[in-house]
Amino acid sequence: MKRNPLPSMLMMLIGGVFILPFIFMIVASFKREAEVLQPDQILPKTWDLANYEAVSRNSVEAPVGLWFVNSVFVSSATTLLVICLSSLVAFAITRIKVRGAKFLLNMIVGTMMIPAQLFLIPLYVILSRMGLLDTPYALILPAAASGYGVFMLSQFMRNLPVAIEEAAMIDGCTLPEVFWKITLPLCGPSIATLAVFTFIGSWNDYITPLVFMESVTNYTLPVGIALFQSSYSTQYGLTIATSLLSTLPLLIMFLVFQKQIIESMTSSGLKD
Amino acid sequence: MKARRKEELVGYLFLVPYLLLFILFVIIPVLVSAWLSVVQLDLTNASKSAFIGAQNFTDALKDDFFWQATGATGRFALLMVPSVLVLGTAMALGMNRMSQGRDMVRALVYMPSMLNVAATGILWQWFFNNEFGLFNYTIRKAGGTPIPWLTDANMAMPSVVLMSLWWTVGGTSVVVLTALQQIPKMYFEAASLDGANGRHIFFRIMIPLLKPVLLFVFVTTTIASFQMFGQAAILTGGGPTFATRGVVQYMFETAFNGYRFGYGAAISWLLFAAILVFSTIQARVLKSQVEG
Amino acid sequence: MSKLRGSFNIHALVLGVLVLVLATGVIRWSMLGGGIGSKKTRLAFWNGFTGPDGVVMLKIIEDFNRENPDVEVAMQRIPWATYYNKLTVAGSDGRGPEIFVVHTDALPRIRRAGFVADISDLYEGPDAIDVDDFDRVVVDQVQFGGHLEGVPLDIHPQGAFLNKQMLKQAGFVDANGDPRAPKDRREMLDFIGKATLEPSGDLKDKQWAFAFTYWGANFRSLLPQFGGRYLDEKGNAALDSEPNLKALEFLAEIAKNKQAPPADNGLGWFGFRTKRVAMVWDGVFMLGDLTRLNDFEYLGAPIPQIGDRPGTLANSHVLCVNKSVSETEREASGRFLKYLSDHSLEWASAGQVPARKSVRANPEFAKMPVQFAFAQQIPTMMYPPRTPVIFEFMLELDRAVERVVRGQIGPKEALAEANKNAQAVIERDRREYPASYAEAEAKP
Repeated sequence: MKRNPLPSMLMMLIGGVFILPFIFMIVASFKREAEVLQPDQILPKTWDLANYEAVSRNSVEAPVGLWFVNSVFVSSATTLLVICLSSLVAFAITRIKVRGAKFLLNMIVGTMMIPAQLFLIPLYVILSRMGLLDTPYALILPAAASGYGVFMLSQFMRNLPVAIEEAAMIDGCTLPEVFWKITLPLCGPSIATLAVFTFIGSWNDYITPLVFMESVTNYTLPVGIALFQSSYSTQYGLTIATSLLSTLPLLIMFLVFQKQIIESMTSSGLKD
Repeated sequence: MKARRKEELVGYLFLVPYLLLFILFVIIPVLVSAWLSVVQLDLTNASKSAFIGAQNFTDALKDDFFWQATGATGRFALLMVPSVLVLGTAMALGMNRMSQGRDMVRALVYMPSMLNVAATGILWQWFFNNEFGLFNYTIRKAGGTPIPWLTDANMAMPSVVLMSLWWTVGGTSVVVLTALQQIPKMYFEAASLDGANGRHIFFRIMIPLLKPVLLFVFVTTTIASFQMFGQAAILTGGGPTFATRGVVQYMFETAFNGYRFGYGAAISWLLFAAILVFSTIQARVLKSQVEG
Repeated sequence: MSKLRGSFNIHALVLGVLVLVLATGVIRWSMLGGGIGSKKTRLAFWNGFTGPDGVVMLKIIEDFNRENPDVEVAMQRIPWATYYNKLTVAGSDGRGPEIFVVHTDALPRIRRAGFVADISDLYEGPDAIDVDDFDRVVVDQVQFGGHLEGVPLDIHPQGAFLNKQMLKQAGFVDANGDPRAPKDRREMLDFIGKATLEPSGDLKDKQWAFAFTYWGANFRSLLPQFGGRYLDEKGNAALDSEPNLKALEFLAEIAKNKQAPPADNGLGWFGFRTKRVAMVWDGVFMLGDLTRLNDFEYLGAPIPQIGDRPGTLANSHVLCVNKSVSETEREASGRFLKYLSDHSLEWASAGQVPARKSVRANPEFAKMPVQFAFAQQIPTMMYPPRTPVIFEFMLELDRAVERVVRGQIGPKEALAEANKNAQAVIERDRREYPASYAEAEAKP
């Protein structure tokens, strides 16, 4: 095959175009507020850390540190619940094959088709009556009930040969032991992928915390950032600095787990 | 079979935690939503919830704002889906042919999707700003006439789509690229041995083999487009004059700003119906295409 | 054929996430002041002061808590956009706050949910808040069926913010050479002519004299200047009157003649803060954000008198108490409301005008130039209409204004349509909730 340099150059250009707004953001975050959006002045007159200082100050009106902690808490708790519960369910359905397993799976997958927005209003009423509104659990628990993880892991487990597990059972392992020691590790990459996507989805979720959270101290990062665009004015400098900081963990995660994600995308799902 | 009973017991135990959440936060809300859609519920007068049957639905179908919102969402989907497919596939093909730096470019185009919707919206609001935004500034500098990105009712939705493309097409291209890379090399080798040229290879081999993933992208992008909310809400607030206010935003506003929970619930069911119809059609087409 | 891909350890992942959850859970608990219950009367105070004004309010609350050791007021801020819905849901569910802020125009709607208490007693007695210390029009807004349901904390009129430098450049100075604002229609148009500079192709030189901020509010500031009104004596929509038309026509002309840039979301303020727009009309509460900008000289002034009399739009924050509070909580709430009202001068520094006349008479208030200038409009200011369907009503009106300002349709047509839709909403509401109309007094 001929090695034509043209596609590489073209694609690198396109990659550059995609990353350009990010570069803008990084550069703009070092400008003073009045300058931030002067288009005729891309580079800052003076490189200023004012925006980052405002972020680190964790002020009463913009407790970014608190939002960050909230986001980590909510996203990791959601991820934990999702990977644990989904793998348990997938195992029960595909390995133990309890009675009614097929029906259950169909129902779960069926509800996945319902748009998330349909749940917004009734959940609001239900969570309010349960007294869970304005707590992180309003975000964690409904998200953990999502069928996406169950679906994904069930698909994967179904395609996984049972040989090793059966061998272990013959050797006298109990079901829970098989689950923990053998099945889980075998599903490693899939679960890692599920974890990453769940985490990212929860981290960037905007509409749910917008509706279910009341106090500014309970906000997660996306809703907090949206707060900077208020009836008062839009604080672009702060928005940009906070947005960059809020994207950082995701980037790190993505880079760390890149291998697993690609691996699981190649071995599963798309060949339905 | 005692062993089997014991097994099943373990199985059910495994199911219980999830089922609890599922019933509480999926099944019950669906039922509540169904109930809400046939009542009139105003929280500023909580004792007054009256059963009004299908009135919410008929009200919606008679509501000009509802149809306007449907039109906005429809316009979004119509512009977004083909763009995502074409651009995503083109980018995937391009990355596939890269001799080096592919991993870096893949990461670069995927990065925008890590940004959350609020940050994206506020950033692009500046890009699109008529007077002081970056795009028009560049255009003016180059001597052209500025484009009314967000102030013109016809231009606003394409602007929303443009932002959404930047935000999400990277993810799509990565998915298509992964599928592309799984096509065994020997197909290409065999074809070029048989004397097939590039065009032939592309249309007769690549596209058919990519069909499953392309259909997957088509369906998921369409369903996601029907649910569009944050992008327009933050970028334009639904304006100008509600030109970009989609169904979800309309539902959100009637329920949470207008206090009409029953009406809002009815709208969300109408949205579901639309998605259901679409998914069913797609499932049929998918089945026949893939198995055919 | 090792199936166990040793490079990735799933158990470590699960453990790691668990640790993360626990760690952040603990951090969160401590950051949110994870204390154990105290003997104090705890009062939750909800408002929408999510901007710099919240900082000022917080300080006042801290002072109160210190001076009243048996009470602890805890402030909860919710952005105005979703505030009223969340307040109503919480209130209806019995989770509502003990004290909360309501805009004057939202009060008729909110009180329908049944949790706004009658606090006329706060105005009675030797130590009480003096009802005559408020302007008649201000306190009338919180009066329902003969009793008072709130304490007006402040007034926020719309006014003009002007860039001093650009005023000077356009020649708008007084006898001392200090910049002064245009005060009527003629001067306004003159100012627009002088301060709107055509670009030489370079953005550096382009500037506008005037830009729309929120067009709906801009229109409602002009409405009283022509003698316009929202409702008639019977409480029906009266949007399509001659005076309203004249007010809207002024804005339509400005937009049509390109005397202001096309109305863009947030454009007016953006331009003002980057010194490309000389004058914007908005509420005094925008001041809080301006004070954060360094090296920017601006002044505040009444809205120029475009019509045949001065006037502007105004609104107020009203302090209300929840009906379902205990005796102790009620007493403590009363104390807090009085404290806030007495300290409304401090609140004014957040960009507000105190509602109490005596507080405004304090010489310290005159030292707040913008607030003081905006306060001059109090005799001629006009509140939004007193109707429970205020949100829907304003939606129709603002939509009409937007369409006119964007040149999509003419003022007459726009107002006629808005009137029709608004009336439909009013009638629907009358049908569904006759009780609120029986006791309400419809004041234009």
